[in-house]
Amino acid sequence: MVSLRQFVRSAAPAISAILIFLVVWEVAVRIWEIENWILPAPSLIVHTLFQTWHLLPEHIWMTSKEALLGFLLGIAVALVMAFILDISPFLRKSFYPILLFSQTIPIIAIAPLLIIWFGYGILPKVLVVALVTFFPVVVSVVEGLQSSDRDMIRLVRSMGGSFWQVFYSVRFPHALPYLFTGLRIGATYSVLAAVISEWVGASSGLGIYLIKAQSSFATDKVFVVIVLISLLSCLLFLVVVFLGRVMMPWKHKSHKYKKMN
Amino acid sequence: MLKKVSTFLLLIIMLVLVGCNQVEESSQGEEVETEIESEAGGEVQVESSELVEATFMLDWVPNTNHTGIYVAKEKGFFEEEGIDLTIIEPAMEGAVPIVAAGQADFGIGSQTGVTIARSKDIPVVSIAAVIQEHTSGFASPVEKEIASPEDFEGKTYGGFGGAEEEAILNTVLNQHQVDPSTVENVIVGSADFFANTKRDIDFQWIFYGWTGIEAEVRGEDINMIYLKDIDPVFNYYSPVIFSSDAVIEEKPELVEKFVRAVSKGYEFAIEQPEEAAEMLIAATPETDEELIRASQNWLSPRYQGGAEKWGIQSEDIWDNFSSWMLEAGLIETEVSTEEAMTNKFLP
Repeated sequence: MVSLRQFVRSAAPAISAILIFLVVWEVAVRIWEIENWILPAPSLIVHTLFQTWHLLPEHIWMTSKEALLGFLLGIAVALVMAFILDISPFLRKSFYPILLFSQTIPIIAIAPLLIIWFGYGILPKVLVVALVTFFPVVVSVVEGLQSSDRDMIRLVRSMGGSFWQVFYSVRFPHALPYLFTGLRIGATYSVLAAVISEWVGASSGLGIYLIKAQSSFATDKVFVVIVLISLLSCLLFLVVVFLGRVMMPWKHKSHKYKKMN
Repeated sequence: MLKKVSTFLLLIIMLVLVGCNQVEESSQGEEVETEIESEAGGEVQVESSELVEATFMLDWVPNTNHTGIYVAKEKGFFEEEGIDLTIIEPAMEGAVPIVAAGQADFGIGSQTGVTIARSKDIPVVSIAAVIQEHTSGFASPVEKEIASPEDFEGKTYGGFGGAEEEAILNTVLNQHQVDPSTVENVIVGSADFFANTKRDIDFQWIFYGWTGIEAEVRGEDINMIYLKDIDPVFNYYSPVIFSSDAVIEEKPELVEKFVRAVSKGYEFAIEQPEEAAEMLIAATPETDEELIRASQNWLSPRYQGGAEKWGIQSEDIWDNFSSWMLEAGLIETEVSTEEAMTNKFLP
């Protein structure tokens, strides 16, 4: 009960802000008689969502699959890369600029090339998502690994701990909060990256649905897609936050403990 | 908390701006009207001193469908009519919503786009047909052995993502006893036909005057199945030049002058394809020159075709295709041809 009340108290400002925003939007559209194809009212967007619901699961599923697989691939590559960069200062110095460079490649230029190389299947989309999401994860994990407590490392070493034991019991747990910071950023980008990669060519997905809606001037459907993309991104973000709490119970608990004092 | 409040305020401001913009637009329209009235009084002065600014929005990268516009600009036909024309290349969704919202005065697109727009109360009107005959169809490299619609079965189609294409493709498939579910539809957007058909795609919807000619220039053999040969109902106009209800009502003389200049441009391109091609090449140096020259030679005689003058649109073609679109479920409400197109601005 206490937690429920706490939840309501913490979420109330956000929820009421959103509600007021939606009401202002609805009223503005009605007062100025803004036409549907310029800016649809929230009520119309909800109506369209229910009316077109039977068309959507296929597209939502495709985009989610691309975003999730790409994100997982991005994380895997990022962890391996972070480990390599961490063990050798030489590699760190030589590869860091290349990593940075990889983030400056415009997706809009690379996505059509990926399709020429890998075809119209799911692979090029997964690669685009991985390319976008791996960078924040690498950067934050490397930083986390680099900044672990020297005294703790010395302590474990002096007790006869091997390289792996130091890594496993001191450095990796220390880097976990950094990892999750990177993951949260990556999660918010992944769905958007999947949608953009679909624009270059696909047979289903929210990006394709968006193109079709735009070509028939259905602004209400465009907004439905916007809402769905936001919801999917938020969902993925919340999953990452939840996993962070499960994997780092000490962080969450100490937080509570401080509050009780 | 402060952040939330400020975000919220920002969003409100955005909404108010959208609202204001609408109000402003209508008042702008009034201003223009009064300007025009005064123009009528002192016509000579205005003509000699000031050019009226107008914007024209393309549907794709500049190509031979647009030659007449570039010729008219290059030869000064717009200036002769007192128009200072700016040509804008489009975003992905094309020119219709932008012209309808008053952000551009004229645009180019397909008859289908105008009809779909009208069915949703988006106020655009077609004012000229660029080409008399419909030149698009389904193309594939000869080695794919797709000679007729029956051969589409089990193949992969590369679509451009247009609203009408799935309905048209499915109609064609059903007419030829092919189950539409056996044809995979991949939206490839504007990706290159030649690169696509070497990979996963078997056939694509192309305009012969551009991609078909490109195949000729490259020496690649393709099979071309014209839409108009499959069913005469598909002989609709593509592209057409359109404007909005607001521009037509508030500045009819601008529309008339614009169409007169554009007509002169296309007539020049019909009579002198070589010279017209060079003008388009000068305007779009990124595009393959040889392709433009070959395409211009192919397209120039087709602009006017057998019609009495360039740009004229037949009401029958609009009637027939609109009712087909209604039957096919592409539009939900009937669109009257009278509202969707007009020949009255043609010289």
